[in-house]
Amino acid sequence: MKFADFVSSEAVRADLEAHDKEGAIREMVQALLDAGRIEADESESIVKAILKREELGSTGIGRGVAVPHTKHPSVDRLVGSVAVSSKGVDFASLDGETVQLFFLLISPPDRPGDHLRALENISRQLRDDTFCKFLQQAKSPEDIKQLLEEADNNQFGS
Amino acid sequence: MSDIIRATREVAVTNEEGIHARAATLIAELVRRFDSKVEVIKDDERVESTDVLQVLSLGAAHGSKLSLEAVGGDAEEVLDALAKLISDNFSEN
Repeated sequence: MKFADFVSSEAVRADLEAHDKEGAIREMVQALLDAGRIEADESESIVKAILKREELGSTGIGRGVAVPHTKHPSVDRLVGSVAVSSKGVDFASLDGETVQLFFLLISPPDRPGDHLRALENISRQLRDDTFCKFLQQAKSPEDIKQLLEEADNNQFGS
Repeated sequence: MSDIIRATREVAVTNEEGIHARAATLIAELVRRFDSKVEVIKDDERVESTDVLQVLSLGAAHGSKLSLEAVGGDAEEVLDALAKLISDNFSEN
């Protein structure tokens, strides 16, 4: 699976303003709403579901990366957004570091395989330090989109 | 002082959703409670069990076969605990 298969390019954000976990999640869900990828009357329910998942354990998986996610019946295919916070957000990560790179995923309840393959793709690409570093330095949605495209075209290692 | 032991174990991923973020986090948290170093091997790929990002990159879906390799004084104990966590489906329903 490639980034292009699940990341909505109109929902990419290079300048998250949030300082905390809930704020970051709300901004990213709003980005998907603005991009027309989720229904307006479902967005609060999606935010609540993602926050509930975070209560089970932070999706801040270390190295400044978080993958907040949920299953939600209102989507019929996997939708995702990518965001970068230059100052970092306290996400209660496993390694205690703040998070700069966010990959938010909403998947239909009956498609666990797609969710796993998206996570596999994200984590495989992020194992490359150059990709991580360039993404952290992204200044615009265009920068991020270009990096995701280059990653899809196997221009980074691993 | 305990001897350094190397131990290996073959396990199958039996939970419906595979090794997703929470499952990988539980693996990392469990291994960190022991002294031994544990690597997870799927096909030809070998990753550090305490690095969630690396474990997720294996894309270990339901039915995957994994090899666990531990080195350290409590190698057998950590693999016992890890094999139980995985065979108990990470306590998922």
